[in-house]
Amino acid sequence: MKAPALGGWPRSLFARVMVILLVGMALAQGLSFGLVVFERSQAADRLMLGNLELDVASSVSLLDMLPADKRTNWLGRLGRRNYSYLLNTGVAGTPPSAPLAQEAIATIARAAGERRYIGASAMGGPGGPFQVHLRLSDGSPLTIDIHPAPSGVSPWLPALLCIQFLLLLACTWAAVRLVTRPLKQLAAAAEKLGPDLKADTVPEQGPTEVVHAAAAFNAMQQRISGYLTERVQILAAISHDLQTPITRMRLRLDLLESSDAHAKLYDDLSAMEQLVREGLAYARTLHGGAETPVRVDLDTLLDSLVCDYHDAGQAVSLEGKVGLPITTRPQALRRILSNLVDNALKFGTEVGIHVQRDTDTRLTIAVCDRGPGIPEEELERVLEPFYRLESSRNRGTGGTGLGLAIAAQLAQALGGSLVLSNRAGGGLQAMITLPI
Amino acid sequence: MTDHILIVDDDREIRLLVAEYLERGGMRVTTAANGHEMRAALENGAVDLVVLDLMLPGEDGLKLCRDLRTGEHKRMPVLMLTARGDEADRILGLEMGADDYLAKPFAARELLARINSVLRRTRMLPPNLQITEAATVLAFGPWRLNTTSRHLLDEDDVVIALSGAEYRLLRVFLDHPQRVLNRDQLLNLTQGRDAELFERSIDLMVSRLRQRLRDDAKDPQYIKTVRSEGYVFSAKVEIREEHL
Repeated sequence: MKAPALGGWPRSLFARVMVILLVGMALAQGLSFGLVVFERSQAADRLMLGNLELDVASSVSLLDMLPADKRTNWLGRLGRRNYSYLLNTGVAGTPPSAPLAQEAIATIARAAGERRYIGASAMGGPGGPFQVHLRLSDGSPLTIDIHPAPSGVSPWLPALLCIQFLLLLACTWAAVRLVTRPLKQLAAAAEKLGPDLKADTVPEQGPTEVVHAAAAFNAMQQRISGYLTERVQILAAISHDLQTPITRMRLRLDLLESSDAHAKLYDDLSAMEQLVREGLAYARTLHGGAETPVRVDLDTLLDSLVCDYHDAGQAVSLEGKVGLPITTRPQALRRILSNLVDNALKFGTEVGIHVQRDTDTRLTIAVCDRGPGIPEEELERVLEPFYRLESSRNRGTGGTGLGLAIAAQLAQALGGSLVLSNRAGGGLQAMITLPI
Repeated sequence: MTDHILIVDDDREIRLLVAEYLERGGMRVTTAANGHEMRAALENGAVDLVVLDLMLPGEDGLKLCRDLRTGEHKRMPVLMLTARGDEADRILGLEMGADDYLAKPFAARELLARINSVLRRTRMLPPNLQITEAATVLAFGPWRLNTTSRHLLDEDDVVIALSGAEYRLLRVFLDHPQRVLNRDQLLNLTQGRDAELFERSIDLMVSRLRQRLRDDAKDPQYIKTVRSEGYVFSAKVEIREEHL
């Protein structure tokens, strides 16, 4: 709650507002407290001096008029809480230096009359007791022994001040929290708005401003989600509606006599078909899969994938074992891996899958090949949808530029990541990291 | 005898093109644009197989397939045409009672091959057990095969993945338990959906499947070798309604 010690303006809004409010209010409170104390002691002093003047004047006149042997009896009655009268010369010494004492001495001298005043002597340090020496008209000495009262501040005042500070701290904390907590919730909700668009809505409650901000945020989130859904729907609708004409064209081609043009048209149609299929698949991965996660024996999943390639006459090797079931979406994982393996088979040779448990909570599956690899500066860009390397834009190896994008999106949807790198000795490594 | 194929698709052009191609291939073809016409055609003549489009206006292919399976034509072979590209959707369509599926766009010769394969399969060996919409899980021993998601689950509910060929072979065994199947029959029944060549010998595939089922090849529990005849799936298989 407190600002960090010297050396830095705190970074969080909470601490900053807290510091400003607390320091400001504490200063104001301290100042007014000091002012009150000063004012009070001044008033008390003035009152005390006024009383002293009257009192000393009358007491000295009384003692002066009394016969010397009666004076002793009166001394007790004339004394007050913080001063008393003595019928002797008192203790000699230097006059006190405290201003209040000097003022009191001057007051006494004035009240008793200049001719009766002899001097004053301090009995202790500054602010300590002191004596004022006088002479009565018959020449006998009179001493006023003064014990100044300690400062006029009551002992409960500092305690009150402490309580006030505590109250201040509590109120400031509550107020600052009230302001900063909705901000935190908003930030958390915005962060959760990941690629699957399944963010929680922010609760629309609290002070008016917070309710407005939360409502605006929720509306924005819904709009974004709406736009993306619409985008997916448009892509899906186009893809779907293209399937009927493509089907017709393929059937017409099948009914035609074979010729050179026939084969080329067939290739063009296949390319269109692939684009439609992968466009639809990409739109789906953006929208988040409907597949529910299950516990999967990853070793058999990889082995069966490799078997599928073998059955189709493609050589893919498998190394490593995980040895325990993981919780994931098997169809999505299969799709990622087959996209990566298809890619490796298209551009390279010696395609292999290496699986390895990194830690207790993480595993990696690497799909490797020996081939041209990808220029370093393009390694990240090839994961973007519809991005293709210049060298693969011809039709033979073309593809749609969606295979890797789909794999990267799905890896993210599985809570993992996909990273491409070039291997020493040539070739590409596509590494998926997955939580176990 | 020529095979009589009923094509149900809402696109007139596709109906005509498919009909022309199949007729060139020596089949008799009737076409229907919707469920109403389909039912009328089924009443009229001895249809051998229905090619059914999944996306139909009004009653869709899934509903029509369901109706077929519960009515008097419940043994009618159905080949489903799906317009969706996604694997899960295709499988869903298939397991709603169709005998096979083909995704649009398809090549005509692929369709012809599939029709022939389904006809061969259903004529040669109709399944002992019929998967229905509600009951899609085949259980044997501690194992369960979910025919919708194609997941094989062990006793701890862990998914044991199967390759395409392994799944098809297991399905053939589970559809015909306690029946000796020779290698030719197995090869015919498991022939790939995607015209994929089934090059590996049946013996190799059976041994792979035994490994997946953790079955001891020397004393197998599930798939037993019948000397000089073939294989038999000896365990008891039941169909369950389960949501896995």
